[in-house]
Amino acid sequence: MKWMHTKLPEFIQKMHDAAKHNNVEKPVQIRGLENLKSAKMQSLRTGRIEDAVTELSQRDDIESVDVVVMPRVPETMHTVLIKGKDKDGKTNKIILEVMNIIHPTEETEFDGCTDIEDHRPRIGLH
Amino acid sequence: MKYLMIPEGILDGKIIPVSVVFMDTDSIEKSGLTQDEAIIRVAKEFSGPTAINIFDRNAITTSSDGLVVEGAIVRMGAADNGKVNPDFGILPMAEIPYSEERIKDEPHLIQWKKLFPGKKLFRGPDPAKKIIPIHNVTITGRAANNNSATEMMNIITMEELIFPILGQLECINHGNVVVGYTGEEISVGIGMTVAEQFGRVFPHPQFHAGETAHDSGAYAKTLKRDIPCIVCDKKVIAARTIRALQCGCVPARELGCSPVVLSVARALGSEIAFDRIKPSAQAELDSVGCTREWMMQKQNMTPEEVIAHADEILPGIADGKKHRADEIVFEKELII
Repeated sequence: MKWMHTKLPEFIQKMHDAAKHNNVEKPVQIRGLENLKSAKMQSLRTGRIEDAVTELSQRDDIESVDVVVMPRVPETMHTVLIKGKDKDGKTNKIILEVMNIIHPTEETEFDGCTDIEDHRPRIGLH
Repeated sequence: MKYLMIPEGILDGKIIPVSVVFMDTDSIEKSGLTQDEAIIRVAKEFSGPTAINIFDRNAITTSSDGLVVEGAIVRMGAADNGKVNPDFGILPMAEIPYSEERIKDEPHLIQWKKLFPGKKLFRGPDPAKKIIPIHNVTITGRAANNNSATEMMNIITMEELIFPILGQLECINHGNVVVGYTGEEISVGIGMTVAEQFGRVFPHPQFHAGETAHDSGAYAKTLKRDIPCIVCDKKVIAARTIRALQCGCVPARELGCSPVVLSVARALGSEIAFDRIKPSAQAELDSVGCTREWMMQKQNMTPEEVIAHADEILPGIADGKKHRADEIVFEKELII
């Protein structure tokens, strides 16, 4: 599976590189991944997102690109670990709970723009 | 097509985080639109986050305590910036077919058999038919219409409105409501549910009468204490609770053991299934003064007296203000 997933730091770098043309780099801001220190990003989709960053950054009327990552299904289930530590930082006891988080959907990022291309597969058809 | 609405904003100093729209099936049918089309069409009238509920006035539903009441939400939607999310913005509720087996499994539904024979029952959606995996929620942008349309939120500001079914029914029926904060007793009470298939909050029978869904001990009274709410006048819920008790339902046996239900039973001197209240539920009730000793102090009032003195007898609501529903709900017309 060496070629199938992109390391998170490489994903971030690829987004910045995708906005470089003729030695000019337009700024790319990535939001929604701040919580992650390590992750493997689906390579197939990474490539399509790079294409999208390139396409937009090459337009004369576009000066910067935001790449915003949010849950596709806006409710996510999480494990919560409540870890009790002693004076030396050693974990002595852990209680596991579950937490469901409701997120806003993509409309909150539309900024009133009406020129929207939706390349996503419909739910259940991916 | 006419519809009713409560605007987003401030009401009696309380934040109303989304606009709330009420439509009914009869009006939608006369308009020629489908219910989904009606939700999408009315959404265009609102630029802010909006919850949209469609009522069937001829159907019945249940409250979280297990009271059976007239009028049911049959479809819900969430909208923002005039749009409805195509994947997550609309969800229909499931019709629960009548059967004696159903009455046996959900004994609070004896009220259906005795009071509303032949009426259709709706509560929550069929979990097999929804995409959002856990909550019975529709989401578009900032708007979340949750717990089968009785809890509405702006997910960005994180402000919430608790809008129980009886409060909504008073709104669409030009009745009487109270606008306030939930308070400790309601915070405890909303966890004291009955077990239902396709329930408003839980898709499968999960927490039975006498149990607590919160199971949070002393924290149960603070979980949902400070949330703006629009509820029915206490006389209304007193009357509906008395009606359920008169059908033979008993708190903690057929009905949930919320402070409101217990206070009505205590005031009437009617039966409470003390031994069915689980220790975890009792601990939460104790934290708001509904101790076993308090429950056993029967007062033997008449139903009329309980209803007349509902404001003193039924706990719940902080900083509440009474309104005629018509003072806070506005009628609008949609040009199709």
